[in-house]
Amino acid sequence: MTLRDVFTELSAKILCGSDEQLDAEVATAAAGDLMSDILARLGSPDVLLTGLTNTQAVRTSSVSGIKSILVVRGKPVNDSMIELAREEDITLAVTELSMFTVSGRLYAMGLRSGMDSD
Amino acid sequence: MDAKQARIQELLYELKVTDVMRAGAITTRPDQTMTEFRRIMRKHRISGTPVVENDLVVGMITIADLIEFLAAGEADCQIRFKMTPNPECLCSDQFMVHAIRQFDASGYGRYPVVDRQSRKLVGILTKGIIIEGMLSKMAHALKEEEIRQYRASHIFEDINAEYKELYLTYEVVGKDFDRAGQASTSMKRNLKRLGIQPDIIHRLAIASYEAEMNTVLYSDGGVMEFRIAPEEISLRIRDHGPGIEDIEKAMQPGWSAAADWVRELGFGAGMGIPNIKKCADKMDLQSIPGVGTTLNIRIFTGNSDQTKSVQERNTQDSRAK
Repeated sequence: MTLRDVFTELSAKILCGSDEQLDAEVATAAAGDLMSDILARLGSPDVLLTGLTNTQAVRTSSVSGIKSILVVRGKPVNDSMIELAREEDITLAVTELSMFTVSGRLYAMGLRSGMDSD
Repeated sequence: MDAKQARIQELLYELKVTDVMRAGAITTRPDQTMTEFRRIMRKHRISGTPVVENDLVVGMITIADLIEFLAAGEADCQIRFKMTPNPECLCSDQFMVHAIRQFDASGYGRYPVVDRQSRKLVGILTKGIIIEGMLSKMAHALKEEEIRQYRASHIFEDINAEYKELYLTYEVVGKDFDRAGQASTSMKRNLKRLGIQPDIIHRLAIASYEAEMNTVLYSDGGVMEFRIAPEEISLRIRDHGPGIEDIEKAMQPGWSAAADWVRELGFGAGMGIPNIKKCADKMDLQSIPGVGTTLNIRIFTGNSDQTKSVQERNTQDSRAK
């Protein structure tokens, strides 16, 4: 399953991202609003689900080697976040669904935890 | 020498015939006639083919042979009588630099390429194919980021000294949230270009980012100084205050001085310092209240026993819980 398939399935709107990344296979994900928690787990999941919409979500992804971010609950994403995501070559999308629903749907689609300690 | 030129030269020494040759060459059989050969050449717009029998190259036939045959006005005959028998071949595992020398020395325009063991034909190499193949490999090898990585990763090799180390310094502005993390992300790129192992980069980037966030969120700004030496990478962050009253307490997981706005940024859960400690091989935190805080982080890059793997780190972490 490609990242594009995942976004389509979740009716997510793509805010930025290259075709190369959208056509890449995805197998793992992680979810969290607390960036320290994401950083502490030392993993590089294919997708990060988060409700945090600021530049630090992008920085955390960049530092952790995460290539795409899916913002949940349809939270508004400001331009500086999109701009930084472009700069850091990270795909950014937003869905109206909640973190719980998105996590469950992705698990059902076969995605598993991308964190080393799970 | 210019880095691009150096990279191209190196490419010549890295590439093998098999990387550049055209696989599945058009061939002829020795029992086909010269008329058939003429038709094949016209159809495929080529000027010669290897002559193959039982998968083995028995000769080369070219446009020069055909011209000679036509000029002589002889009756049609089999290719086997006009071809150059037992021609020189290139092996697919030969380096391109050797193949090019062979072209130069012989003056031939094309070589059949055979497998070294089986001697079976696997492809063909002509001057045209070399140019085309080398250009496409170069275009790939010379992508800007790769050039940068190539250039940087050779710093330690190309500079001669008894002891080599690189210092990189970043200014961190206090309370500038939008730019917070910039030093750590650009440092991550630098380390990648320097050719540091991904595992080490990952750990250093996380430790550095957590430390940078602390400096932005809780201090009046400071300086991050990275030191890259062959056996370790270290980071020292000195801030301009206000300092930490109780270091013992600050080191405890879950303890946080964060105000609500810090938590809204996705930080301030009291996990920063324990996180840094987990990523680093050695960590040292010192603070003078009213003056400032200095954090030292060391990560060993050698494969020494001092280096903990990510796996061990997480096992330790879950035990601690």
